[in-house]
Amino acid sequence: MVMKINGLSLNRNGKHILKNISGELEGGKIIALLGPNGAGKSTLIQSMARLLECEGDIELQGQAITSFSAEKLAQNLAYLPQHSQLQFPLEVEEVLSLATLPFALTKLQQRQQVKQVIQDWGIEPLAHKDFRQLSGGEQQRCQIARTYLQLSNMKRIDEGREIGYGLWLLDEPSSSLDLEHQHQLQKVCRQAANEGHCVIIVLHDLNQALHLADDVWLLQEGKLRAQGKVAEVMTEELISDVFNVTARRIEDSGKYYFMFG
Amino acid sequence: MIKKLLASPFGWLIGILLSLCICLGALFLGSLDAHSLLNSEIGHNILWNIRLPRVLLAFVIGASLSLAGVMIQSNVRNPLADPSLIGVSAGAALGAALMIVAADFVDIQVHYYIPVAAFIGGILATMAVLKLGRNDMPGGMALLILAGIAINVVAASLIGLLTYLATDSALRHITFWSLGSLASANYFWLILCSIALLLVCIWLPRQHRKLDAILLGQAEANTMGVDVKRLQIQSIIFVALLAALAVSACGIIGFIGLVTPHIGRMLIGASHRFLLPLSFFLGGSLLVIADGIARTIIAPAELPIGIVTALIGAPVFIWLLIREGRRLQW
Repeated sequence: MVMKINGLSLNRNGKHILKNISGELEGGKIIALLGPNGAGKSTLIQSMARLLECEGDIELQGQAITSFSAEKLAQNLAYLPQHSQLQFPLEVEEVLSLATLPFALTKLQQRQQVKQVIQDWGIEPLAHKDFRQLSGGEQQRCQIARTYLQLSNMKRIDEGREIGYGLWLLDEPSSSLDLEHQHQLQKVCRQAANEGHCVIIVLHDLNQALHLADDVWLLQEGKLRAQGKVAEVMTEELISDVFNVTARRIEDSGKYYFMFG
Repeated sequence: MIKKLLASPFGWLIGILLSLCICLGALFLGSLDAHSLLNSEIGHNILWNIRLPRVLLAFVIGASLSLAGVMIQSNVRNPLADPSLIGVSAGAALGAALMIVAADFVDIQVHYYIPVAAFIGGILATMAVLKLGRNDMPGGMALLILAGIAINVVAASLIGLLTYLATDSALRHITFWSLGSLASANYFWLILCSIALLLVCIWLPRQHRKLDAILLGQAEANTMGVDVKRLQIQSIIFVALLAALAVSACGIIGFIGLVTPHIGRMLIGASHRFLLPLSFFLGGSLLVIADGIARTIIAPAELPIGIVTALIGAPVFIWLLIREGRRLQW
């Protein structure tokens, strides 16, 4: 198990942002965090990345997350924030190379990995551009590529096979991506899960969640309303109730789709 | 190209040679007859005991303020930040002003004690800022800056109050000191400031990738293996040390700490691997040139160096700003 959360709560100015959240995150799975605005999705994912102090226990790889040094934490999880606010002129390649910071790699290995990730993500034309000059979608792609590069270093050899053990925390990664790159992101998420990593993804598009995720955590007003397999949790009644819309679930050749009206 | 050069030992050698040339030029500036300067006893004395420590101190202070500027700007991720922001300069100025005014009432060797009072003031102000702006909560860095501003205001108003108590000569002294001057440079301050700079030069280059990570954002840096809180506290301690020593040695020299890091970034980008050495050389050289101008342009009188650094730095900065603005289409 990658992470175990037990009774996680967070209060800010007397208001419950998160209330008594428990759950287990297993490797090899994609888990979608769903919920309306202000439900606590971003807060929850930030707590998982140890960016917020909260009550309750979080265990990462069987140890209390509070006992991890900054470096060791970064060797076990990669986090993509919702927005990036770089104020200084760093090149895309320089931003990407920072992903290798927590790992003991030689300069040559670093350069090779950065080159590889630039190729894989098709960002060669952007590599030497000032990060601030990129469009929102391009910045998003570079940041996703950076966290993916960090994640891809979290591997151990088990019986001659490389097995991933990382936790990839993605806070609304597809919000400003076009269709092609949304599709690419989905493919990479699935690939990471197949390698053994655990992927947590905050999504607003329920249909995307239906097709991408294995499990769903449905949040409402800081509480975990439901968690479990996608098809079991995402029912017409529950989605209609939580999101305050009329949702219809349609089945077409074994796949589900939601329509709203 | 420049980047690769800067990070190589060859680049460092060129930087040191260039800086030495500038220092050497400044050493003989204003004395056309270098030969007689070297041979007469008075000339010898002027050269080795007055001018040499002054030129070297100018370089060390310039480099210190510039590196302090890079550190504070990167740590608070604010391009407008400046070493004086954490209250160290204001505290030092208050300490010095107190000593100048007190000298009218008590019979002490005031020139000797002003730097000491300034240093104590600077360190006390920084400690107060650190205490007020606790760094261990979300948005702690913003709180730290606000605390710095508060301390700056308090110190400025206390200095204002002191000017009412001051005699005419003390008032003139306070004004001159607050504009900065390297006239009282000696080997004592040169050695002290050099040791502090050396410590920073040993520590800082090892943090270059961590500082890059902080530029991306605090959350990003935290999840990329950087203990942000620890790095920020260490940086602030070093900034306070450098700035307090600089202010104690030669008064308040503005502008270098704010502008040289920006000039460096506009030339070669924000990656600290290149920015740190470039800021070191740029800051040092700029202050040596500024001091050369300050002591020769209206010779035998001297201009306060703060005026010169602003007059040279500001137009260069504005030019770079326009160039950068066009490129980025702000």
